[in-house]
Amino acid sequence: MSFAIEVKNLKKSFGDLQAVQDASFKADSGEVLSLLGPNGAGKSTTISMLSGLLAPTEGDASIMGHSITKEPEAAKKSLGVVPQDIALYPDLSARENLVFWGKMYGLRGAALKQRVDEVLETIGLADRQKDHVGKFSGGMKRRVNIGAALLHKPAVIIMDEPTVGIDPQSRRHILDNVKELNQKGMTVLYTTHYMEEAAELSDHIAIMDKGRVIAYGTHDELIKLVGEETRIDITLNTEGEKVLSAWRTTEGVSKIDSLDGKVTALVDDSNRVLPRLFEAASKVNVRITSVDIQEPNLETVFLHLTGRALRD
Amino acid sequence: MKILDIAFKDLVRSARSFFLIGMTLAAPLLVTVLIYFAFGSMTSGDVSMTAIKVGVVNADVLPADAPLEVPLGENVRSMFFDESVQSWITASDYADEAAAREAVNAQEIGVAIIIPATFTEDYLAGKTDTAITILQDPTLTIGPTVVRDMVTTMLDGVAGGGIAYLIVNERMEANGKTLDPATVPSFFERYANWYADFQRALFHSPEKAALVVTSPAVSGETSNSLQTMMGLIMSGQLIFFSFFTGAYAMMSILQEAEEGTLARIFTTPTDRTTILAGKFLAVLFTVIIQGVVLLVAGHYLFKINWGETGSFTLSLLGQMFASVGLAVLLVSFIKTSKQAGPIFGGALTGLGMISGLFTTNIPIAAFDTMGNFTPQGWVLKAWRLSLAGQPASELIVPFLVLVVMGIVMFAIGAVMFRKRFA
Repeated sequence: MSFAIEVKNLKKSFGDLQAVQDASFKADSGEVLSLLGPNGAGKSTTISMLSGLLAPTEGDASIMGHSITKEPEAAKKSLGVVPQDIALYPDLSARENLVFWGKMYGLRGAALKQRVDEVLETIGLADRQKDHVGKFSGGMKRRVNIGAALLHKPAVIIMDEPTVGIDPQSRRHILDNVKELNQKGMTVLYTTHYMEEAAELSDHIAIMDKGRVIAYGTHDELIKLVGEETRIDITLNTEGEKVLSAWRTTEGVSKIDSLDGKVTALVDDSNRVLPRLFEAASKVNVRITSVDIQEPNLETVFLHLTGRALRD
Repeated sequence: MKILDIAFKDLVRSARSFFLIGMTLAAPLLVTVLIYFAFGSMTSGDVSMTAIKVGVVNADVLPADAPLEVPLGENVRSMFFDESVQSWITASDYADEAAAREAVNAQEIGVAIIIPATFTEDYLAGKTDTAITILQDPTLTIGPTVVRDMVTTMLDGVAGGGIAYLIVNERMEANGKTLDPATVPSFFERYANWYADFQRALFHSPEKAALVVTSPAVSGETSNSLQTMMGLIMSGQLIFFSFFTGAYAMMSILQEAEEGTLARIFTTPTDRTTILAGKFLAVLFTVIIQGVVLLVAGHYLFKINWGETGSFTLSLLGQMFASVGLAVLLVSFIKTSKQAGPIFGGALTGLGMISGLFTTNIPIAAFDTMGNFTPQGWVLKAWRLSLAGQPASELIVPFLVLVVMGIVMFAIGAVMFRKRFA
């Protein structure tokens, strides 16, 4: 069976740094695959290789059956790439930008005009098509940024953290766009470090950390990796380091990590473990200001697999 | 086709960039206009300058036994009343030094020349302390200097005449002959005519101008050395701005790398050579537009004849290839657009200087030699030949050298880019 995206033992090294190590995953046609991982996990390097920006050090991948190393032009024709940062010409209008990017994908004449009109409608900017992109709001720029990747109706679209640094309304708009594109049959490779986005959008999720794919599966399959463990988020009145060493050795705590004054722990039974955590905290004069007990989610999975929180 | 698409996009962006428009057209045109205001009227033959007001007090009288028909002071005086200087010297007689001094103090005249009563007598007696006094308005500089030079030149001639008279006299006496006093006035007259011709030939004849290249006359118009000079100055400007504009326009590739659009183009089915070629084409077109505008401006403002059509076309095309090739090469060594300013400024100004772009009017052998190793030097050679009216066949060698230089520089730049963005 041929996959829309198939990544096999992909590696990328920059000198001594191994940015991606033996990454393997695949996506069927018409599904949304999310690459989930913290900053520096290797997500962007992986999609840079898939989109032809970087040559793999080892391994290969295919887009719609075309090898990115042996048939890069054919692979690129099947692919639309939405970069993480806005990659548009600010001194050209929205329409001029789309026309240019359409031409780069080989569109010409009436077909190009028709696609530009359709995409402008899709991204909701038909009435602002003559305005320079430089004058647009961040959300509007993001929409044009996505639109430029849709012009040639690619079978596969790669979206590299498209919701970073934008307002909730624009974020919602983009997530809805992704769902809409997927419903039209497009395969979407979506990278994010927001586990809620991955959970909402994905058919399959590949979790990356330190250049490796550490887990791959559906949302439910990944949650099962955590077993019966419960995640507890604890806020303290001071830095967590004072109490963290004590909590690590507390019975019933399997994983614990501290980030931005917030401690996240995986415990086997919260009713039994919480009193011990309070007791250990009071011994070092640390006051617990809030406790949040959560059902297992992708963040729990990441913590379970790496011992670290997924958050920034 | 994508090459044209990329070139068109770059040209549209350039047309919307105030900086690039300024660098491409506004700055060179501004410099051209400034040069026009400085020299333009001269090249059109319409020279006008404020007349120098000179007052002459000629008290000189002819001694009774002098072998001259008129006192020498009259020769000095008449120089300022000559028809040939009336367009720029207004001379008037004053009765005595006091009147002339008063006129200078009142700024009625800029310079007063006081010729003493014993000027001819002292001269003929061989006295060496005979003096002509020059009074001047202290606020003036050029006028008094010109008058002083004229008087000095005249006195050199007079002194030379005296020496010639003494030598002739001595030689005749040595040969046992005596100079007939009746022939002395005609002797001095012939000497004076010879000296006047000599001075005229030395300073005033266009044929004697110390310039190597002359611009051929435009049909129906009068060519002069100033037009030649302007042709060389403008060709220097043309070359300098062409290389600068090429480099700055090519900088768009760095800007695109910083904006992320270059990486995005790489994700499309467009190979790197096509991208670079598109940018090359856009820069080439920009530099051609600039070159044509400056050629036309130079022609209409300064009446510069850039040479035969084939010759200036080859010069312009060679210049375009070399400037864009060098632009690709320079940009390939630069990592960010912030580095571009100092690197372009240093490299292009340095290369321009050693190629003689800023000393186009002064042939300097060292610059000619160094110019053999720089694209700017070869472009200047091409323009010199074209301005000198040489046919296109004479420009084939510099043109081919420039094309080869452009291709080699482009190729090196392209390899560097491919390595950087591999």
